[in-house]
Amino acid sequence: MSVSQKTAAPAASAPTRQMLRRILVLMLLFGVGSAALLLARLYRLQIIDHDFYENLAIGQQLREAPGSASRGTIYDAKGRVLAVSASVDNVYLSPAEIEQYGEDRALIAAGLSEILGLDYDELYEKTGRSGSWYVTAARKIEREQADAVRAFKKEHHLRGVRLEPDTKRYYPNSALACHLIGFVGTDNTGLEGIEARYDEALSGTAGRSLRMTNAFGTELLFEQFEDYRPGQDGCDLVTTIDATIQYYVEKRLRQAVEDYDALNGAGAIAMDVNTGAILAMASLGNYDLNDFLAVSPEAQAAVDAAASPEEAQALLAAAQARQWRNKALSDTYEPGSTFKIITLAMALEEGAVGLGDSFYCGGTVNVTGRTKPIRCWKDGGHGSQTLTQAVQHSCNVAFVNIGRRVGAETFYRYCDAFGFLELSDDPDASLTATTGVDLYGESGSIWWSRSVFTAEKNQSQLAAASFGQTFTITPLQLITAVSACVNGGELMQPFVVRQILAPDGTVVSERQPTVRRRVLSEETSATVRAILEQVVGDPNDGTGRNAAVAGYRIGGKTGTSEKVSLEAQTGQKEYIVSFIGFAPADDPQIAILAFLDTPSTKSGVYISGGQMAAPVVGAMMADILPYLGVEPALDEADMALRDAAVPQLVGLSPSEAAQALREAGLDSRSVGGGERVTRQLPAPGAEIAAGSQVILYYDAEPSPGEESLPDLNGMSYREARDALSRLGLFIQTRSPVYDPLRQRVSTQNLAAGTPLGHGSVVEVTLVSEDDSMLGRY
Amino acid sequence: MQYDGARLSVAYTPGQRRAPFDLPFFLTVVLLLALGVVMVLSASFPRAYYDPGHITGGNGAYYFVRQLFFALAGFGAMLLASRLPMGFYRRYTLPFLLVTLVLLLLVPVVGVKANGSRRWLGVGGLTLQPSELAKLAVILSFAALICRYRSRMHSFRHGVLPFLGILAALVGLLILEPHFSASVILLAVGGAMLFLGGVPIGYFAALGAAAGGGLAVLLTFFPYASSRIVTWRDPFASSSDEGYQIVQSLYSIGSGGLSGLGLGASRQKYLFLPEEHNDFIFSVVCEELGFIGAALIVLLFAMLILRGYWIALHCRERFNCLVCAGITTLLALQVFLNVAVVTNLLPCTGISLPFFSYGGTALLIQLFEMGIVLSASRDVLKTD
Repeated sequence: MSVSQKTAAPAASAPTRQMLRRILVLMLLFGVGSAALLLARLYRLQIIDHDFYENLAIGQQLREAPGSASRGTIYDAKGRVLAVSASVDNVYLSPAEIEQYGEDRALIAAGLSEILGLDYDELYEKTGRSGSWYVTAARKIEREQADAVRAFKKEHHLRGVRLEPDTKRYYPNSALACHLIGFVGTDNTGLEGIEARYDEALSGTAGRSLRMTNAFGTELLFEQFEDYRPGQDGCDLVTTIDATIQYYVEKRLRQAVEDYDALNGAGAIAMDVNTGAILAMASLGNYDLNDFLAVSPEAQAAVDAAASPEEAQALLAAAQARQWRNKALSDTYEPGSTFKIITLAMALEEGAVGLGDSFYCGGTVNVTGRTKPIRCWKDGGHGSQTLTQAVQHSCNVAFVNIGRRVGAETFYRYCDAFGFLELSDDPDASLTATTGVDLYGESGSIWWSRSVFTAEKNQSQLAAASFGQTFTITPLQLITAVSACVNGGELMQPFVVRQILAPDGTVVSERQPTVRRRVLSEETSATVRAILEQVVGDPNDGTGRNAAVAGYRIGGKTGTSEKVSLEAQTGQKEYIVSFIGFAPADDPQIAILAFLDTPSTKSGVYISGGQMAAPVVGAMMADILPYLGVEPALDEADMALRDAAVPQLVGLSPSEAAQALREAGLDSRSVGGGERVTRQLPAPGAEIAAGSQVILYYDAEPSPGEESLPDLNGMSYREARDALSRLGLFIQTRSPVYDPLRQRVSTQNLAAGTPLGHGSVVEVTLVSEDDSMLGRY
Repeated sequence: MQYDGARLSVAYTPGQRRAPFDLPFFLTVVLLLALGVVMVLSASFPRAYYDPGHITGGNGAYYFVRQLFFALAGFGAMLLASRLPMGFYRRYTLPFLLVTLVLLLLVPVVGVKANGSRRWLGVGGLTLQPSELAKLAVILSFAALICRYRSRMHSFRHGVLPFLGILAALVGLLILEPHFSASVILLAVGGAMLFLGGVPIGYFAALGAAAGGGLAVLLTFFPYASSRIVTWRDPFASSSDEGYQIVQSLYSIGSGGLSGLGLGASRQKYLFLPEEHNDFIFSVVCEELGFIGAALIVLLFAMLILRGYWIALHCRERFNCLVCAGITTLLALQVFLNVAVVTNLLPCTGISLPFFSYGGTALLIQLFEMGIVLSASRDVLKTD
């Protein structure tokens, strides 16, 4: 620094040299050093660590909103919709904006409470949560309401009331097949049934919209960044469920639960015996899929009567769990006599028994390892029987002997082959198995370990297992195994979803019926079918005769299982009555298993599979076989026994009326005198028992009085018809009529003593009931 | 205290035109000021628009308009200051110091409270931080005292005691507010002035030790200060509370990259980054203008600082030299501390960035200080 004046005359007040030196130090420190330090720091943050910070920043700036992948539709086997999604809206409030724009909270609360039917105070409180930008007001509202909210929003220029699209699941058949279909939660994830098991396929992949937002999650001002990554709509499912069959099964089952007052509900499965496809599966009590949280009125009453909110909550949760439980899939039970089909099939296949063998039943049989002998259900025994008769009679003694002939080892091997258990190398392990059906919630069977079962010194396990006791299985396992017994011998893999369809309708995957293994020869299977047909078809010896349907060949087996462990614990005798049937017996297409859990003695009907469950399956078959296109082979006599529809008779002459009634298979009696029929009872179209006397009025009126309905229980159908006819009442039945003289009334739709006007029609259930039929088999 | 009245006539003779001020210094200030005002517009717009604090009424230009007004007023103040002779400042040093002390005394009594501290005095719609005045007061009074004690600066009695007295009074009042960052700057500027004034390095080391001890006391007795040290070491450990601000700042700076997101395109300013138009405006600068822009601004500041010291080196009068060096040091300290804080080189504390950070009276005072340097630059030795 060559400063001329400074060198010439440094003033006394001029900066000292030391001062200047020290300024140079500061200059280096602040002008150069710190600048370099800052630049280095910026270089590190902005260039070297750029990606690190950028990722973190973008992570907080981007909001990912799930898009709307529409959930797939569930169809039944005939293409009818079982579950479908529709667009709805969620309404939410943005209290922060309500406050920011000074919107009228009272107005908003009043408007929304009126449109949405919500509580005003609650809404008003929500509008005041000014720290929040998102408070849900209502979920999944339908279009009409959503439009009303939009109009309200527009009218008052409300920015604090918002709508967002969502989807809602609809189940057009309400409770039909509820346990199979299942339901979705508010987030549209499947929670039960097919909805849960196939959730991934149904939900597809939701699209995502990425949006750059400010710290509050609302949009930026100028630089709008939005990116939509389209999702894949969910796939549609074609199930094996046939809604019609399901409907028939549920209808008959529900009626049975009412008739016999089944305390723990009931279940039923209908299966295509040749493919393993589940055509129907019912579990009662059921629930409306559209309102799956609502419980039955009785359960709700119990909840309402609860002493404390906690108890009410617990009761409600228990009732919900109960109604959501699929008994046909998740309950295990001792199958009882229906299992004799399996014992029979393995004995025939092994050649341990033949059609020509004879079995003597003296009422009891001694078993090694048991102190008390095993008793047959029939006191005094069945005497000497053929193999077919032993099955027809459901003779326990005979089956203990058949089981012995098979042997414990072989018995277990067949149980393994039929899918009831999986043999393990560990002889002491208790055994279990499931069918592997494509549904969640399937329970596993419970069997004795192999070492216990095959013990030489104690053969009581084998003996009891031969007639279906001391182990538990699921109804689904039983019907799958019985299907193998009658379909030619192949154990099929049960399934409910046949096809997965892409949104454009192309088949993504198709389920082919899967043979798990061949268990029986065609020949053995044919023999089993023939024997089982005799159980139902023989009106004298068959314990399954109540399942008979006129014109159809039906095979099947009854079952009455006592809840042994329950009796051991409480001394209470409770039963599960069941029947498994298949048809047509010569070429089976469908098998149906129905079971009633704990029917009450109050119904007056003898508690057994033959008296309670067999008529249910018979009635189901009567509905379903015509639907499946199976032609009934009805002769004139069969036709004459069926209920007939009353023709239109008013205005006819006596001879014309008589002619019309004869053609319908009905009788008549006349009141009054005249040329033409002026009134008739019952009204045209009513279905009444064949041979009923239609009352024809000629210029006369029916007497206005009422009659007290008699107790028809135990009467034959014919007796009941005539008893009612004398009172001017009529009878009809849902049960198949094949022998009106021996089929007896077991239930009636109206209680005895009910006053009825003349011409009323009473509906009854028929069973074939004689002393030979009364037993727990 | 006595002022050397004769110097006034040397520096300023009525009727005689003074030499023009230093153009490079002036232009650099104007350039930085223009950049600063633009950045306030960009950085403050979202907060002003969304108005989460219910201040602006949703007017996006709220902060910008005010900053622009003060920038223009400050520009005028700078021109005015550059026209006032240096003798004027020397003459009014004592009254200025006394007024500052009175104002600082008033702060705890009638001050406006914000964020747990009482740092502002409200006059009508304006608020004033007397701590800003205190910084200038230290520079002017120390310069005057150093000139007065010229040859006795190496003695403790003259070289240290009076200065410590002034510092103790000012810093004590600041700690009452409390205003940690202003205290630090005041101590640093005071130290720098004493360093220039010729205090022996030995005393200076002792003074530094004392300052360090004071700092330790501050950290011990003011928990808010020591918790900042913890946050500084690992801001990500508390990224949702104490560390939130610095983490957001690092996000902003880091995501700027080499060339930035473009002027106005910051995303962090959308309410993620707190104080984005204030102490943390440089983070937005980094995000929008990238390393290139940020480095250019740092270099502009460096140029301004070097030019300020250059002017000090060329002053004929010791007082002018000391004032120029002091103001430049103050500026340098503020810039360095601000950028060091937003880049997490130093623990978080509230130091604004000159010419950039939103704040009316502070900007006004800073520009006035630049005007003083410009005034001194009129009297430098001619080098040609």
